Amino acid sequence: MSLLEIKNLKIHYRTKNGVAEAVDDVTFSVESGNTLGLVGESGCGKTTIAKAIMRLLPPNGRIAEGKILFKGRNLVDLSMNEVRKYRWEEIAMISQSAMNALNPVARVGNQLIEAMQAHRQVSREEAGRRMAEVFELVGLSIERAKDYPHQFSGGMKQRAVIAMALMLEPELIIADEPTTALDVLVQAQIILKIKELLSKLSTAMILITHDIAVVAETCERMLVMYAGKVMEHAKTDDIFYNPYNPYTLGLQNAFPSVKGERRELISISGFPPQLINPPPGCRFSKRCPFVLPICREQEPILEEVGPEHFSACHRSADVEEIRVKSKEEKTWEKEKVA
Amino acid sequence: MAKKEFSERAVVFRHFLREQREVFRGEMLSVVGLIIVGIFVVLAIIGPHIVPYDPNEAIVDQWGLIPEDKTPSKEHWFGLTRFGHDVFSQTIVSSRTAVVVGLISAVMVVFVGATLGLLAGYYGGWLDELIMRITDIAYGIPFLPMAIVLMTLLGRGISNVIIVVVALFWRSTTRVIRAQVLTIKERPFIQAARVVGASDFRIIYRHIAPNVLPMVFLYVALAVGWAVIAEASISFLGFSDPDSISWGQMIHFVFAAQMFRQAWWWFLPPGLCIVLLVMSAFWIGLAYEKVVNPRLKIE
Amino acid sequence: MLITIVFFLFRIMPADPTALFIGASLHPDSQKMMIKMFGLDKPKLEQYFIYMKNLFRGQFGISIRTNQRVIDMMVDKIWNTLFMMGTAMVMALILGVIIGTILAWKRGTSIDTIGIAVFLALRSAPEFWLGMIVLVIFGYNLQWFPIGLMLTPGRPYTGFFDKYFSLDFVHHLFLPVFSMTIFYLATPMLVTRNSILDILHEDFIEMAHAKGLSNSRIMFRYALRNALLPVITIAPLMLGFAIGGQVLMEKVYSWPGMGRELVEAVNSMDYPVVQAAFLFLGAIVIVGNFLADVLYSYLDPRVKVG
Repeated sequence: MSLLEIKNLKIHYRTKNGVAEAVDDVTFSVESGNTLGLVGESGCGKTTIAKAIMRLLPPNGRIAEGKILFKGRNLVDLSMNEVRKYRWEEIAMISQSAMNALNPVARVGNQLIEAMQAHRQVSREEAGRRMAEVFELVGLSIERAKDYPHQFSGGMKQRAVIAMALMLEPELIIADEPTTALDVLVQAQIILKIKELLSKLSTAMILITHDIAVVAETCERMLVMYAGKVMEHAKTDDIFYNPYNPYTLGLQNAFPSVKGERRELISISGFPPQLINPPPGCRFSKRCPFVLPICREQEPILEEVGPEHFSACHRSADVEEIRVKSKEEKTWEKEKVA
Repeated sequence: MAKKEFSERAVVFRHFLREQREVFRGEMLSVVGLIIVGIFVVLAIIGPHIVPYDPNEAIVDQWGLIPEDKTPSKEHWFGLTRFGHDVFSQTIVSSRTAVVVGLISAVMVVFVGATLGLLAGYYGGWLDELIMRITDIAYGIPFLPMAIVLMTLLGRGISNVIIVVVALFWRSTTRVIRAQVLTIKERPFIQAARVVGASDFRIIYRHIAPNVLPMVFLYVALAVGWAVIAEASISFLGFSDPDSISWGQMIHFVFAAQMFRQAWWWFLPPGLCIVLLVMSAFWIGLAYEKVVNPRLKIE
Repeated sequence: MLITIVFFLFRIMPADPTALFIGASLHPDSQKMMIKMFGLDKPKLEQYFIYMKNLFRGQFGISIRTNQRVIDMMVDKIWNTLFMMGTAMVMALILGVIIGTILAWKRGTSIDTIGIAVFLALRSAPEFWLGMIVLVIFGYNLQWFPIGLMLTPGRPYTGFFDKYFSLDFVHHLFLPVFSMTIFYLATPMLVTRNSILDILHEDFIEMAHAKGLSNSRIMFRYALRNALLPVITIAPLMLGFAIGGQVLMEKVYSWPGMGRELVEAVNSMDYPVVQAAFLFLGAIVIVGNFLADVLYSYLDPRVKVG
């Protein structure tokens, strides 16, 4: 049994202009101890899924359909009391801008201790010892525990938040853009630290980011999302070496490669579709250079195109041709005419 | 050419009015506030002409004596004061004092305060320091004690009440407006205007002022409330003009006569009027507060 | 801020002509003494310094009205005022914060709307009028509390402690404090409520939820603790207005304090008393400001007073 199974998840947001289908029929799973990289543009629904797992959706959001099975239990059905129990104990979340995730008027160490004491009957000494452990794990000096958040640098705050997430040894950590707000050098440090921790502990992780380079370094499996739908889902290596989905191909083009050949960056022109009353068919159809009439009428199903490799595209059979063409700049310009 | 300028201004003014109407759209409470304040303004203007009795003349019977029974009756809806005056007439006529003091002081308070805040925020440097130091000192002075002393020095008249109120209340507006100006100043469009070569005056007048306007109106609304209560407090202590009537003064007399436990008809109406007027002013302010702090609107 | 204190003190001095300092009705010997003590025959500037010097020695001159030393008249009244105003302010702040927090928690419900409406209405009323109504209902009609004054006349008391901590005192203290509290608590209540609502949007609140902390813990330890800071900032402002309120309430409740003294002194042109009373009332504001600054730096670890 997988640690986490998302089945046909649909999440809607109520806005004054209508209902936004932020997440539509998303299915994937995460095994114990594995890492899944969740990538996509801003607004594609990745953070929404993370919040849904933690049951932290804002008041105007709701899980319209589907199941979130964690160790067999459907989290959607649980009462708030039960939700509070599994939060942090079994699943922890490191959200975007961890900079601001710490209470400015409480000492950092106390906040970690508090996280533990909220779930277990432990004395302050015990919690303190655990805190020292996790501080060491993330590479923070224990003396800093009595400082306030504003006395920490950005990178240190990030480490502190990661440490806090590890306090109760959760089985799953959801890291939402853990490095976006940091400068490049610190980013590299944190990524290294995360890799280290992942290899040491047996925690599973969902790493949410729009930077596929980070995923390439840290995750075993990768899931590409677009406009609330899963585009492609496979082992990270498979996605990089054998991509099937046009959107994935477009993404790869948009990232510079330090090692690879010098080439012009090719970006995907256009904007994501609106999520309120989305257009029929494949949500990427408007921007896809390989679009066929059927793409605009029928939504593609997520089908298995290789061993544990899934893609949602009507043209999966033409993948060889598509891969070649997508390397050419003019392919991506052509779609403007369409 | 003058005609073109005039019609241009007319358009701007009409646009301005329409904008203000937008502010009140959907704000039931604020609209009610506007209506109530409007009623008081009307009363202030026509009050002395429509009241049934002269508020300053005692009602006497054929022997020149004040009636014993002063409770409300058909002829005297709010009853009589200890000295035989018709309470209803007094209440209505007092609205003139309240409205005059309230509106004029409020406008002047905010004008002075906002101007200083604008200058301090925009120019910064020593002017800012100077204005803020003065504001700090002004903040340290408790209102009522100073008001009492000033009233004694200046003499007891309505205009002096206005002067006192303005002299002491401008301080809150200054700080807040200055803060607003500081945030607006950093916005890109201001930098753009500077780069284009717009003069300081033009920037302040055409760019910053309109953005500060909602907050200015908010403070005018608040200031009306403060001013009315301030006037009432000064009158209650006995320091205002003995020749003019105001609600505060009416309450002063009730207290002096030690009749407030019996003569409820005498001291409740003026107080209630103050509550009404002040609350209405605050309600109007609420509409502008939503503009100034849009986060309140989203939920 | 301290510089402001000094400026402030210097400012009140020149406001009134020193000729008023001694009244014609004073006994000629006292007049001479006053002239000597305050150097009224010397140039203005020197007078200021002499006045300041005397101030620090507690010498305020002699009351024109009662011919007593001003300082003797003042001491008791200062305590009377401090007890009443202090209690009322503390109550207003504490209750205001608590009610504000509750309203923020229950945001959007009828409790929220009614709560705000009620206290806003109370705040819009002239406080002396409120005081009178309270007095009528609870003092006259229900007879639960005495009608004004500070202590029962004629009742002997033994020293400071007995005077201010006796049941009689508290009994008399209740109504005035009650009236002031219900009037003034609207401000901290609104500030707390708005501040908490703002804070609830912050990221660290979401993190607190994610950690699995209970709602009440989040509300009090996270939201409130951060929301207190703006409240402390406005507390000194409240103080400024509260002094006015104190003056009014002392009249309504016949409370023998500094406020009442000030009014009587102004009415009888008793200049030395006016100046002294005014100074003390102003000093309260300044001390209050200072205390608020200290409290703020204590509560906000981001600010450390050098």
